[in-house]
Amino acid sequence: MIGDPYSERVRAMFDAPAHAGVLEGASTVTVDDQGVRIQLSADAADGSIKAMRFLAWGCPHVIAAAEAVCAGYEGRAASDLDVFRAAELMQSLAVPTEKSGRILVIEDAVRSLGAILRGISGSDS
Amino acid sequence: MSSDKRLVYLDYAATTPVDSRVSETMAALLGEDADFANPSAIHAAGRRSGAHVARAAAQLASLLNTQPERFIWTSGATESNNLAILGAARHREHRGRHLITMLTEHKAVIDVFRALERQGFDVTWLEPDQRGVLDIAVLEAAMRDDTQLVSIMHVNNETGVRQDIARIGECCRGHDVLLHVDAAQSVGKLPIDLSRLDVDLVSMTAHKLYGPKGVGALYIADRPGVHIEPIMFGGGQQRRLRPGTLAVPLIAGFGQAADIASDQIPDDLTHLTTLRSRLWDGIREIPGVQLNGDLETSYPGLLNVSVDDIEGESLLLALEPLCVATGSACNSHNQDPSYVLRALGRSDSEAQSAIRFSLGRPTRPSDIDFAVSQYQDAVAKLRAMAPDRAA
Repeated sequence: MIGDPYSERVRAMFDAPAHAGVLEGASTVTVDDQGVRIQLSADAADGSIKAMRFLAWGCPHVIAAAEAVCAGYEGRAASDLDVFRAAELMQSLAVPTEKSGRILVIEDAVRSLGAILRGISGSDS
Repeated sequence: MSSDKRLVYLDYAATTPVDSRVSETMAALLGEDADFANPSAIHAAGRRSGAHVARAAAQLASLLNTQPERFIWTSGATESNNLAILGAARHREHRGRHLITMLTEHKAVIDVFRALERQGFDVTWLEPDQRGVLDIAVLEAAMRDDTQLVSIMHVNNETGVRQDIARIGECCRGHDVLLHVDAAQSVGKLPIDLSRLDVDLVSMTAHKLYGPKGVGALYIADRPGVHIEPIMFGGGQQRRLRPGTLAVPLIAGFGQAADIASDQIPDDLTHLTTLRSRLWDGIREIPGVQLNGDLETSYPGLLNVSVDDIEGESLLLALEPLCVATGSACNSHNQDPSYVLRALGRSDSEAQSAIRFSLGRPTRPSDIDFAVSQYQDAVAKLRAMAPDRAA
């Protein structure tokens, strides 16, 4: 393979992940699988996500994907987390198919966070 | 790096820029008025082209203290390795089909031996010690009555670790076994005196020593029993071992690069030793940093380090605009953990976080200082972004 393995969007989000960090006291979920560690935390009120942050250990596509998730869900309904699709995110970031397993770890984290916000399962923080 | 002045290139083990003196030599051999004729032709124009090839062979022979007629020109070290290993194994297979190499060889050697295994040859894969060095006793123990060929690289392309080719050669000679050395990372970089070494076949390439890409050579020792079979067919050039019209400008460039290296090696080694110390001193105190290889036994232009709990692909991207390598740059899009570092006892995680800094003649102290700063910042950034393992 010759050429840039990263799209411009991935590079921009990896270079400046504005949503990297932790929200103290927020609902938090951590998933560790497929060589990826992802932690998502969200402040929600009145069914709406006010702020969302991530921590991630993984390849640049994972970090960019986590940043894209956090940036994309702020201001949206918490219930939208339940219908998150990794495939759409992979397409928008031009993630290679061999990394689909890693992005599915993010899907698991997003869905788990949605469940926590709906009070279906307990938060891990 | 004229296309982007911001880039800092520390990947000289992958390839080097062409020295301006080399490119001038090559340019003089291109164009309508240049000596373009086939150097194998016996007419006057052919003889003029042939003189450039002869001069290059003499320059390369001078660098390595051997005779000019000992070289076969190839397209690079990969082809040289293929020709040497396949050619020697096939020529001697009537005597035996046991071959020996190391787990830490370059893919251009590993994959050739894998192909021979599929053809029924029996290959013993030697493990290095934790520094990456081959213990001669391990080689000695692997020798059998039917062993025909040993292939050991001189300088490892990932760690820079040097093997003791002199002692390995003595061991092989004692068993009447051919020794092939992949010297792609050492020819033109370290002093090599082939007249004093018991080596039979040596692979080399121009683009690692400030010469052009696309040309290499295979040294074949002048002693009884050292013969190889051709692996390509189509003409009688080069003692019927490697057909095809010779690429005179590339070969002349290779010769010029060898000629420059003959004078430059001592200064290069002093320069690189100073810079590598500066680099290692700058990053060794970062918590979790681990040296891969051994500073004492390695070529000074190369430093390979791992760092705890950092994902290697992200580290490589965070280091930009620093141009370095993870694992072998010959396949740098493959993010699998380095098999070389795994053979040195590193874990998958340690091997996957490894960065190879390789320094060159043009590297300046300010490049090293930039590399140190980038590495410190990249590690700090990625650690700050990572959730705790136990979370």
